[in-house]
Amino acid sequence: MSAVPEVITAHAMVLQSDAHALAECAERLRKIEAKLEEAGAAPPWLRQSVRAHLAACAAASADLAEASAWLRRYAAITQPGVRHAPH
Amino acid sequence: MTGPASSDPTPSDPASDPLAAPPTPRDKATTGSAELRAAARDLVDVGILIHEAAAHATTALTDKAVLAAIPRSFVAGCLTQRALLKTVTNRDGLGYAVTGNRLATLAAKAGAMAGAESLAVRVLATSLRLRIAAVALDHPELVTDPMLGRLVQAAAEDRDLEAVRALRALLKDRGAVRTLSALAPVFGEVLALRALLDENPLNDAAAWLIATGRGYATADPITGMSNRAVAVLDKGEGAARRVESGVPLNDHGSLLAFLGNISALGTKGRVLVQSVEGPDGVVRHVLQAPGMRAGTPDNDSPQDLLGAFSSAVLDSSPYSRALTKAVEDYGVPEGDEIALIGHSAGGAAIMNLAQDPGFCARHTVTHAVAVGSPIDFKKPADPRTWVASVTNQHDIIPTLDGQGAGGCFDLHPDWYVVDYFDATHLFPLCHSIEHYMANLAADLPEARRTIDERLGPYRGRVVRSQAYLLFDRVPYAEGLPFQTHGEGTAAPPVRCREGSALTAYFAADAVAAAELLRGSGLGPATGFGGRALVALHVAWNRRTSVGAYRELHLGVVLRSADRGRSGWFTVASVVDGADVCAVAARLWGGVPYELPMEVGLTGRAVNVSAGELLRLRGSLGPWLPHGDRGLVGYARDGDTVLRSRVQARGKGRAHLAPRLRLGVALRAHPLADAFRRLDLDGARPLLCLTSPARQTFTDAAGPVLIT
Repeated sequence: MSAVPEVITAHAMVLQSDAHALAECAERLRKIEAKLEEAGAAPPWLRQSVRAHLAACAAASADLAEASAWLRRYAAITQPGVRHAPH
Repeated sequence: MTGPASSDPTPSDPASDPLAAPPTPRDKATTGSAELRAAARDLVDVGILIHEAAAHATTALTDKAVLAAIPRSFVAGCLTQRALLKTVTNRDGLGYAVTGNRLATLAAKAGAMAGAESLAVRVLATSLRLRIAAVALDHPELVTDPMLGRLVQAAAEDRDLEAVRALRALLKDRGAVRTLSALAPVFGEVLALRALLDENPLNDAAAWLIATGRGYATADPITGMSNRAVAVLDKGEGAARRVESGVPLNDHGSLLAFLGNISALGTKGRVLVQSVEGPDGVVRHVLQAPGMRAGTPDNDSPQDLLGAFSSAVLDSSPYSRALTKAVEDYGVPEGDEIALIGHSAGGAAIMNLAQDPGFCARHTVTHAVAVGSPIDFKKPADPRTWVASVTNQHDIIPTLDGQGAGGCFDLHPDWYVVDYFDATHLFPLCHSIEHYMANLAADLPEARRTIDERLGPYRGRVVRSQAYLLFDRVPYAEGLPFQTHGEGTAAPPVRCREGSALTAYFAADAVAAAELLRGSGLGPATGFGGRALVALHVAWNRRTSVGAYRELHLGVVLRSADRGRSGWFTVASVVDGADVCAVAARLWGGVPYELPMEVGLTGRAVNVSAGELLRLRGSLGPWLPHGDRGLVGYARDGDTVLRSRVQARGKGRAHLAPRLRLGVALRAHPLADAFRRLDLDGARPLLCLTSPARQTFTDAAGPVLIT
């Protein structure tokens, strides 16, 4: 049982990293759109699609960060020697 | 940009004539097209990243260690699970993004059936739409044509009913052929887009692969039926039988000459192997493979519809295995250079050969040129193999692996890819080898020049040609097992009621003879004075149970063959009859060459020839009576050694001082090579045994235990 907190912590770290990556994805999407606009090659529907993706990326990033935080807390509680709250 | 190539062949204005522009790899000359493709590629990266994040969250959600700890801290555990579940199901975030392990995959499929989409899928769909937009710049009819535009738009927006209506209207107005041809440039993208967004979970993996360019479409993007499941129906070890080409072949090597040969051979299940003497005097070899044979989807030829499918989807197919057999039979020496040229399914099959490490270890595959073939996910085993792919964007066949004109990935930066379009949008016309040849001849001069320059070592005189008929499996002899030839059946034993024979013994190169025996378990060769004894046996069988035929065998005489009989290890055989050729493997344990033969054998003189490769002529000289006791021959059949026996009855003669001479033509043929290796060109026999009139009985060869 002693390895469990480490496993949960590892998940938390991965998800935290993914949350950052998703935030960066939003930035990349912005750049993709800007580049196409600048080249005059952006299809008329692109802006709406990219905006939707941007919003989704931001929401997903927040979800991942929140899940990561819960995982950290969960890992801390399941550490050996920590007194658990009664069920 | 859609102007016909032939209508404006001015090479100086690439913008107005894409065919005349030098076709660089995946060159998309249209302004904006490159930017759209780059954006589509970036979106794929983003989509994959989002997908990976979803997989990580799913892994955390379903991790047994995480679940097992819940009893230790129920509240925190449940809240954590709730947060993770929200992460992979939040419609405003990652969407329905359960993915990863088997349980998650099942859940994902259930979600797909309910129409739930993930953010990764939506981003990939945007990428596919950008690819379609890029293609539309080269093919404006995709958006300006109201009917086409309606279909593409409906597919892109996941409006199924509208897409079906648009397709029905298109089919009614244009017919199936014109509809498919018009859609061909975006065929893969439209199918993938629809598969990503529809409710069928079975086609998602194929759509994902097409959208990300990570592999060939593993399933039909419409139904989701596994391509592999269909392809494995195409079974067989592959076989090749020598046949007359029956058509005029080019006598000089070049791209158009090789494609011309493929065109001349037609889609009749035949392929061609040629040897070309290059400008440097070196003889190299060229395998030329046509496309699919018309007819039933699965016939006895690997060039059928199933064969085309399996060649495209699998790494090895009956077609490619049959090609290997043809090359082996042709006798391409180990290490020799070989170029592979294929059209349609033939292109996929030759690429399977190029990516076969065993084949590439035996031969140096210098070039692989595929025309109108789905080969995007083939990879040559030898990195030195130069690959060229020529595809017409309106040809659907090259897009069967999921990558077509809308591809945004440079999957093979080291390949020479000519992806063009012309005014002929009609499939299958634009897929025909003749159409590709016409384009290469008139509209793609730079591409043709480039490929021809690369094929420089093969641009010389053709010194040998051999056509092969391919089969899924080793075929029965024609008509077997019920065919009769008046006196019996075409199966062993073969009885000869009237024949004559000559056996000439030569002193040959001992090292070459030992090399031929190596690994057989037989031997050593009978030797004297540092030379090895070899026998050339020629017979004219005039009345036999398989019809009249002539035969010739070259063998290394063994020191300890069967007691009381001369025995040899067969190096090569020739016959001149198709019927006996068909049963030869069972008679002698090897497949003979089928060549025109002449056997002139009188009491005093000999005039023997096999094709234009060998000639043995001269006078036999005085003789002594000698009993004709028949022959025993050994031949290798894979790891087995077969023993064949010819029992003879007749009065023989021994000519102790024959004045014959053997001539071997300077031709690139394995038979001529074998004679030359043994140093027999110009050789005189030491002894000749003849039987002017004899009867023989030849039973089937049987395996022997070599100790």
